[in-house]
Amino acid sequence: MTDKTNAESGETTHFGFETVNKNQKESLVRGVFDSVASRYDVMNDLMSAGIHRLWKRFTIELSAVRPGQTVLDIAGGTGDLAAKFSHLVGDDGQVLLADINDSMLKVGRDRLLDSGAVGNLHMVQCDAQMLPFPDASIDCITIAFGLRNVTDKDMALRSMERILKPGGRLLVLEFSKPVNPVLEKIYDTYSFRILPMMGQLIANDADSYRYLAESIRKHPDQETLLGMMEDAGLVNCEYHNMTGGIVAVHRGIKA
Amino acid sequence: MNTDHDPAVITAVLMAAEGAINRSLELDPASARDLTDLSGTVLAVECWAPALEIFAIVEADGQLHLTSYSEQPCSVRVRGGLSDFLTLATAEDPAVTLINSDLEIIGNSAPLIALQTIVAKMQPDWEAPLVEVLGDVAGHQLANLLRQIFRWGQTSSQSLRRQLSEFILEEGRLSPPAAELEYFYQEIDTLVLKVDRLESRLKRLAHRVDNQIQ
Ligand SMILES: C[S@@+](CC[C@H](N)C(=O)[O-])C[C@H]1O[C@@H](n2cnc3c(N)ncnc32)[C@H](O)[C@@H]1O
Repeated sequence: MTDKTNAESGETTHFGFETVNKNQKESLVRGVFDSVASRYDVMNDLMSAGIHRLWKRFTIELSAVRPGQTVLDIAGGTGDLAAKFSHLVGDDGQVLLADINDSMLKVGRDRLLDSGAVGNLHMVQCDAQMLPFPDASIDCITIAFGLRNVTDKDMALRSMERILKPGGRLLVLEFSKPVNPVLEKIYDTYSFRILPMMGQLIANDADSYRYLAESIRKHPDQETLLGMMEDAGLVNCEYHNMTGGIVAVHRGIKA
Repeated sequence: MNTDHDPAVITAVLMAAEGAINRSLELDPASARDLTDLSGTVLAVECWAPALEIFAIVEADGQLHLTSYSEQPCSVRVRGGLSDFLTLATAEDPAVTLINSDLEIIGNSAPLIALQTIVAKMQPDWEAPLVEVLGDVAGHQLANLLRQIFRWGQTSSQSLRRQLSEFILEEGRLSPPAAELEYFYQEIDTLVLKVDRLESRLKRLAHRVDNQIQ
């Protein structure tokens, strides 16, 4: 579907809790990340008091990526996961760091060069809904804290399934539904009051972070996402809750 | 797969332990060389009560990697209950104990004994990395435990067993997850307080300004 038909059909989607036109959302999302790209890592750390490193590490373990494989990290942002994968796949493998946002990729490129990542890394600016890679060409796809920003998540999941090799795996790391009501309440306070204020203080951009908090709430819960992955054609789908379900990592295999 | 525990907490503990071991390897070139000789070794430790599976992998660069999930073929797998592992941990001679214990060994025990000998010789600084990932209280408690485990033979296995069981029950069993959440909540509490204070200060200021204008 092109932007044009989208605009004409006037299809709406959620931008946080505001309902907006679908293609408006894409530029809004881009705007949000553009404005915080260089401060993103600092914010990311603060956002979860460093726990995101644990969530990402477990996701990487579940990927079981081996030397020589091709790994695609979608919505890869500043390249946290890509740096680890670059090391894991070695000289014979390759890592594709993909993001819709050019300024995120630029920060990522600089950081990865600094961290001494090897020459097996490539940056690709693209949209998760329309991945520009051949069918059955990728061993492992990861998308960490990125799916919630994608307008048409089903379309994105189908696109991922298409480019996976048979037996290849998809890992989705994403905020999810806390399994405990107390946790949910604390989490809401954090997301809706504290996070925007920290955003204001540090990135001088409360709106961006309020948007992040709200898009967390709009994200499908564990079982819904599991169903969506199955609908996209993936098999043996499963998920692991982490930190009381604040975050879940879903895994599905291409049949 | 470890289904009883929150992967984030297990990961935190393993990451901390791994950090401590690798850091002390940097200070101990002889042990580091011994470990490099074992590179490619995948050791699976399977505890059935509490149910927990951990992999120790010696990487090509001689670093030790600890993980709760691996699909690599294992060089050796050790199975047993917690008390078997603790008996082993507090034994004078780990190699002999291993052979005489109830632990089930699948595969070649040579790399296991070699690995044990290396780690037992080292005196890793458990504290800093543990506190870093787990927060002060839990981190300190666990560091003490690890220190005792690796001071082979000097701790009565009874007291060690009790402490470790307590730790695993309180900190490790995780619905809701304890250790890292506690830290997370503390951060939130502090933030909420700060924000509240800031808010009232701003209000007072605004009030004063209003009064002055009038
Ligand atoms: C919260 S960041 C996550 C970055 C990184 N994966 C991490 O975990 O630290 C979300 C990223 O998603 C990207 N993004 C948003 N919509 C996208 C889309 N439709 N396709 C690809 N990337 C997208 C943003 O540019 C941003 O870099």
